[in-house]
Amino acid sequence: MTNTKKLKEFINFPGLGDLALSGARPLFGVLLGLLAGAGLIALSGVNPLDAYKALLQGALGSPQSFSNVLVRASPLLLGGVGAAIGIKTGVWNIGTEGYMYAGAIAAGAVGLIPLPVPPIIHILLAFLAAMLFSGIWGLLAAYLRAYRGVNEVVTTIMMNYVAIYFVSWMVQEPQPMAEPGSFFPMSKMIAPTAKLPILMSGTSLHPGFIIGIAACILFFLVLRFTPFGFRTRMLGANPEAARYAGVNVKRQILFALLIGAVMGGVAGAFEIMGLKMRVYMDFVAGVGYEAVAVALLAGGNPLGVIASALFFSALKAGGATMSIQTGVGAPMTVVIEALCVIFVIAVGYGERKRLERLEKKGKEDEEVVQNGG
Amino acid sequence: MEADQIISWLQATLRWGGPLILVSIGEVFSERSGVINVGIEGIMLFGALTGVAISYFTGSVVWAVLVTILLGILLGSGFAYLTVSRRTNQVVTGLMVNLAALGGTNLLFALLPATRSERVTTFPVLFPESFHSIPVIGPVLFKQPVNTWIALILPFIAAWVLYRTTWGLNVRAVGDNPQAAATAGLRVVRLKYQAVILSGIFAALGGCALTLGEVGYFASGGMTAGRGFVVLAAVVVGGWDPVKIALACLVFGAADAAQLRMQTVGSDIPYQIFQMLPYLITVAALAGLVGRTKPPKTWGAPYDPADI
Repeated sequence: MTNTKKLKEFINFPGLGDLALSGARPLFGVLLGLLAGAGLIALSGVNPLDAYKALLQGALGSPQSFSNVLVRASPLLLGGVGAAIGIKTGVWNIGTEGYMYAGAIAAGAVGLIPLPVPPIIHILLAFLAAMLFSGIWGLLAAYLRAYRGVNEVVTTIMMNYVAIYFVSWMVQEPQPMAEPGSFFPMSKMIAPTAKLPILMSGTSLHPGFIIGIAACILFFLVLRFTPFGFRTRMLGANPEAARYAGVNVKRQILFALLIGAVMGGVAGAFEIMGLKMRVYMDFVAGVGYEAVAVALLAGGNPLGVIASALFFSALKAGGATMSIQTGVGAPMTVVIEALCVIFVIAVGYGERKRLERLEKKGKEDEEVVQNGG
Repeated sequence: MEADQIISWLQATLRWGGPLILVSIGEVFSERSGVINVGIEGIMLFGALTGVAISYFTGSVVWAVLVTILLGILLGSGFAYLTVSRRTNQVVTGLMVNLAALGGTNLLFALLPATRSERVTTFPVLFPESFHSIPVIGPVLFKQPVNTWIALILPFIAAWVLYRTTWGLNVRAVGDNPQAAATAGLRVVRLKYQAVILSGIFAALGGCALTLGEVGYFASGGMTAGRGFVVLAAVVVGGWDPVKIALACLVFGAADAAQLRMQTVGSDIPYQIFQMLPYLITVAALAGLVGRTKPPKTWGAPYDPADI
């Protein structure tokens, strides 16, 4: 009984409790994932330590390589924090891939119009278009989930594919956005006024990661200190209690899914205006799903999203160097990512359940003691 | 459209719809037991690669099928362990299986350079050449490889198993009300395992049918191209009934065949409309716009034996 009580106090301790539930536990899972990855690398006849060393070097070895990590982190941060809000609310927003396409095509469309305005206005207009269009794109699944009770997982996945093919249609001739005579379906280049500034010469470091980290901090504060955040956490922790306490559950779910959609759209817009400069067919190629994995690894905690997004992007950025130096194929990093997430959700769940059981048992013990005394 | 164009379109419909039907056979049991196996896309990929690899090394499609089934059992058990025993979120687990499969097959495929240049032994055509010249049904049906025929017969067997056998009834009971099923003495966890493993086997076989049914090679970078998700869509649109799902698979196969043709021939209608169609129909079906589809009552929910 005293043990359970101590455990509970530890969990309720401000700051530390969150660490125990959303900080340390995922770290353990990631460690297991990296170990399993090491096993696979060893199976392919390469010393895992060499491979991981090359990977680290490829990610952090020089300012250029680290800038590459930050570029890759941008969509994971922005898309990931949007998905994280869903997780905190208790809905599974798997639509990030689609929102990124929706945001990208809208930003690309506004971006390629030569507007006689200063860059800041053009860029803001493009972002606005991206947020609006991805928000509208997400509205269907969000409305269906919130007001009609339709499983959001399946609808958001289905809408991803609709988005992929919609963008492929828009960037192909004879659509007005398409680059005429290109060998691969792609849009025209965006106007110079719509291009984001490069932060470090000789790299493609755009401000996406700064906005991404800022968004993570902002959503952390929103969740922690605003009534909206309180309602979100309440709904995620116990839907019945939230309903009983008078939370407008439907509206809350709608907003949570829409936030994911809008943030995904921003992620897509950054990819276009900061990195690709035009919209290509199939250009997201799974990054949206990785953003969901990032949110999951963070257990829906926006600050955790920063850590897990950087972890994922470092893996991806280092993968190329690992491949060149040790011959372990770059797809290995994707496998390691998946293993990490699987370990985190498989290990984490059991731990959390055990904790709940312990607490429940502790309460029963207390009752027995009280009744007995 | 010319008559021979229609015939070749119908032929392609069965060719692309067949593997979808195979995958759906397992998925319907898994979903009826309450487990959405989103990992079928990844398992298909592994099945597609395994089929090609084993056929290349042994020259025998029988061995290819047997090893593919083994692989399906393995991956299905893994998925069942995570989602049923560890009660992880089914969709997230499935997405991670897909991610791992995309990376994993690319890695393994890099070790098999020979299968890039050489065609491997593919599934045989059952009917003799003389049948192929029968008008319309000759080329559409009799020219099809054996896996298409199996795909056309299996939905009826699956429906019989699901509705007429005790095991099928048990699976449905487990998906609709696991607590009641457990109270009635059913071994819920074991039944879920069986249903999920079945989905692994058929997903792997569907992938194998994709590569060994016609083309005879594997292509890296996700050659299943979202077909696993098309099956998930078909299961919803088909209202969790094996025969209706098979029809949905054929309709989606027809759309697939049409868009492939439009890509090569060129057309005024954008082919992407046909690519979107399965997914749009599914959202409409879930929204209740197209008929009434009712998912199994614990669709996608984890089962905790302690919840009784």
